[in-house]
Amino acid sequence: MLTQVQNVLEAAQEAIKTASSQEQLEKNYIDLFGKKGKFTELSKSISKIPSEQKAEFGKSLNQAKQQILAGFEKQKKEILSGGGKQKIDITAPGKRPQIGHLHLVSQAIDEIVDIFKRIGFSLKSYPEVDWDWYAFESLNMPKDHPARDEWETFFVKSKRHATLGNQVLTPHTSNGQVREMKRVKNPPIRMLNISRCYRRQVDVSHTPMFHQFEGMLIDKNVAISNLKGTLDYFARKFFGKERKSRLRPHHFRFTEPSFEVDVTCGVCLGHGCRFCKSGWVELGGAGMVHPNVIKAGGLDPKKYTGFAFGWGVERTIAMRTEIGDIRLLFQNDIRFLEQF
Amino acid sequence: MNFKVPVSWLRDYLKTDVAAKTLANVLSASGPSVEKIEKVKEDYVFDVEITSNRTDSASVFGLAREANAILSNLGEKSQLANPKGIDLVLDPDTANILNLDVVIRDPKLCPRFTAIIIDNVKIKPSPAVIQNRLKLCGIRPINNIVDITNYIMLEMGQPMHAFDFDKIKGAKMVLRESTEGEKIVTLDKTARKLPKGSIVIEDTERLIDLCGIMGGANSQISKRTKRAVLFVQAYDSKAIRKTTQSLAFRTEAASRFEKGVDLEGIPGALSRAVYLAKSNAGAKIASELIDIYKAKTKSPAINLNPKKLNNYLGEAIHPNLAVKILSLLGFEAKLQNETIDAAPPSWRLDDVADDVDLIEEIARIYGYQNLKSEIPKGDIPISPKDTLEEVIELKRALKFLGLTEVICYSIISQKMLELPETKRTNVVELQNPLTENWQYMRPSLLPSLVEIIGQNQFTRKKLRIFEIAKTYITQGDDLPKQDLQLALAISPGDFFEIKGYLENIAEILGREMKLKPNAKKHPLFLENQSAAVFSGKEQVGIVGILDSKITDYFNIKNAVCALEINLSTLYSLPATAKTYKPIPKYPPVIEDISAIFAKQTPLDEIIQTAKKAGTPLAKNVEVIDVFQNEKLGIDKKSVTLRLTYQKSDGTPTQEEVIETRNKVNTALEKSLLAQIRK
Repeated sequence: MLTQVQNVLEAAQEAIKTASSQEQLEKNYIDLFGKKGKFTELSKSISKIPSEQKAEFGKSLNQAKQQILAGFEKQKKEILSGGGKQKIDITAPGKRPQIGHLHLVSQAIDEIVDIFKRIGFSLKSYPEVDWDWYAFESLNMPKDHPARDEWETFFVKSKRHATLGNQVLTPHTSNGQVREMKRVKNPPIRMLNISRCYRRQVDVSHTPMFHQFEGMLIDKNVAISNLKGTLDYFARKFFGKERKSRLRPHHFRFTEPSFEVDVTCGVCLGHGCRFCKSGWVELGGAGMVHPNVIKAGGLDPKKYTGFAFGWGVERTIAMRTEIGDIRLLFQNDIRFLEQF
Repeated sequence: MNFKVPVSWLRDYLKTDVAAKTLANVLSASGPSVEKIEKVKEDYVFDVEITSNRTDSASVFGLAREANAILSNLGEKSQLANPKGIDLVLDPDTANILNLDVVIRDPKLCPRFTAIIIDNVKIKPSPAVIQNRLKLCGIRPINNIVDITNYIMLEMGQPMHAFDFDKIKGAKMVLRESTEGEKIVTLDKTARKLPKGSIVIEDTERLIDLCGIMGGANSQISKRTKRAVLFVQAYDSKAIRKTTQSLAFRTEAASRFEKGVDLEGIPGALSRAVYLAKSNAGAKIASELIDIYKAKTKSPAINLNPKKLNNYLGEAIHPNLAVKILSLLGFEAKLQNETIDAAPPSWRLDDVADDVDLIEEIARIYGYQNLKSEIPKGDIPISPKDTLEEVIELKRALKFLGLTEVICYSIISQKMLELPETKRTNVVELQNPLTENWQYMRPSLLPSLVEIIGQNQFTRKKLRIFEIAKTYITQGDDLPKQDLQLALAISPGDFFEIKGYLENIAEILGREMKLKPNAKKHPLFLENQSAAVFSGKEQVGIVGILDSKITDYFNIKNAVCALEINLSTLYSLPATAKTYKPIPKYPPVIEDISAIFAKQTPLDEIIQTAKKAGTPLAKNVEVIDVFQNEKLGIDKKSVTLRLTYQKSDGTPTQEEVIETRNKVNTALEKSLLAQIRK
């Protein structure tokens, strides 16, 4: 009987060693330990042997089982590691599931939103085709005011509204300012508005459609120093921790004071180099919201002040990626889009 | 507007030792920005950006005045010197006094009118220094008298004109509004047909000046000119603007008049012009000074509460410092009853009206760079999550599904618009398009995506793209409907591939989406290979294979599968709630049922029938195989269903399974006329 145990053990060990897959190994297991398995049959035969031999038989049976099970474990590992003997060319390409690409503009928006979210600004959306009143008049730009010339505006063929005027393609995101004040009614307001904007101009640095983003904060006792803090925070997060912002005097009808915002040049960090000349590159516009705009938004300018800032998303991309001609962004060449 | 200033000219009036580069830096930090510094021989030329409210600093003297205030506040040694001749008393030099009869029909058109006649003029080239300065500023020198007019404009910010006195018929000037269609040939030899309401001057016979914009050719200074009228005015800025817009013709003088000039600076500019005419052309004053001016009532002082100033600055500064800064800028400023009172100088009347304007003046001279930089404190408002935030998440998910995002212009051509169908209504059309390519606002994103597939089809074996943007549809006289749409296109591909994307998107958005047959053919899609997408009772989009009519237009060789979903509608619907179902403790019994059905029987109907009949034991029914062959017959198909029988309190018994299977088979046979295969 002991020879039989030995035979089963040897046959099993041989079968296990030659098994090359999990399935085969499982089949081997069932062949041995299944209902009609060889090992099972062998164990059943214990009833037929003389009782004085039973103990020895049981012992050898048990030992054989342990050895077989250990063999299974060992072979399982061998199979999982691909045999372990074959050397894999680790430089061969992986089998990748397809991943797509987000447009550079979306990536920038994503990042900007994330940066401002952390200081309490939340994203809002407003019409891209809006009334003249929201785009200009409520922003302290009366009809026929020369300041309107700066926005090369597209007009929509539509009936003129008695009080809101013509329909325009918004040339900036500031139409959201008064709309947001009217929506919230009770400040504080911390709004972020990112939208497609439209102006009648095309050249290497202008496309008739572009994306602008704008932030506005309205609260009690808002100071220029808060605007500076917010812009410095953004410059550090978006462009890099060593970058700074500065304000220069400018003029917009809907802010007073108004500023132009510069950030230190990424190449020379403010010392002046052949890319930036002065050490600074222009980012966008900002200002303290004009009391007339706060009034137009239905709030009391004696009680509330605030700031707003905004700039072209494409411009920030151009500043970071060395894309000279921003028209490339909207040509939608897959070979371009897949680079980012 | 940008303005060029040779630094040597600036230094005529700005007496300081500060170097040109430092000067440029302090101007940029606190005043107009010096955008470029160009070195020309021994001189520097500043290219200065002047904002539309600060034309008072768009002159050499104006800029010197601004720089002087800034430098003085910084404690730099600096002084302002007046241009020579501005105090010249304009008394006749000759006994033979000439007369010019001036009639102003409406004083509103011309708030101030000054003129003087000069005699004994010798026309010749200007002195080299004047010629050089004009050239550096981009103006071509012509002769000594014409050059003076340009020189004064650049130097004093007062546009002016000179007439040949002998060409003014009847020595008379009538300043009035033009009538519709009147004509004048301007100095650039262009005949201009005027709209109604332009400001013009007429002598006794004809128009001789298109005021504020350009003089008439018929009265211009020539080589033979002996007697001239020097002329400095201010005009109604709205009337000038209307004319420049209607003629689409704008000169530097006009753009200055559109923004307004300093009325009090006019006589000084005329005096300076006469001074230069005397020294450069040997001129003699031959008339009394004509100065028609009803002095503007002085605007009252503006009051600024120092507390408000400090709130804006974010720090406290002494009110005396504020007063000092305003005084440096020419304001009449004082501290009274703890309030800052300041009346703006004549050159800032149009620009400074409120206390916030004073705050800007004080803050910029004080120096924005000196203010603190602090993240705003205050409460963070709680506001609802905007659709756009969800869109950011959706875009990211689509990227990881293997799709590449494109962004196309929302403005399209008529060709693109009418690609699916001609004579479209409810389309948003531009009144003043830039070109034919950008004329209409897209009512659908799909044609743009197809165009991109066409452009890129040979660079990649397979294209998978998407865009999320608004579309525009008119709504009567109201603002257009501007819904956010998601469009997706893959090529090559088949219906089930695009449907698979739709199902994944439904899962990502947590909204149920079902396909239903289109009520009528969609102009963009193939009739039998497209479907309407519904969420509940609401149609939210369309999915399918695009009509070859569309793809042929872009010469696309493969099928284009696409979908467009209205995200605005979809996001407004409630997300499907996810509920907890206990994880089964006992293993299921799984078995397959194959049956032959009529070919047109929808799979979903088969599944639903089986599910209904198999409830409660059949927890899941799915199709694992469908095939057709000749043996079955052309109008038949074989479908294999996989049923999962499961119970919460034990493994289903043989008997239970048989019972449910029989119910399912019977239902399939009875309601769908299936033939169960055994």
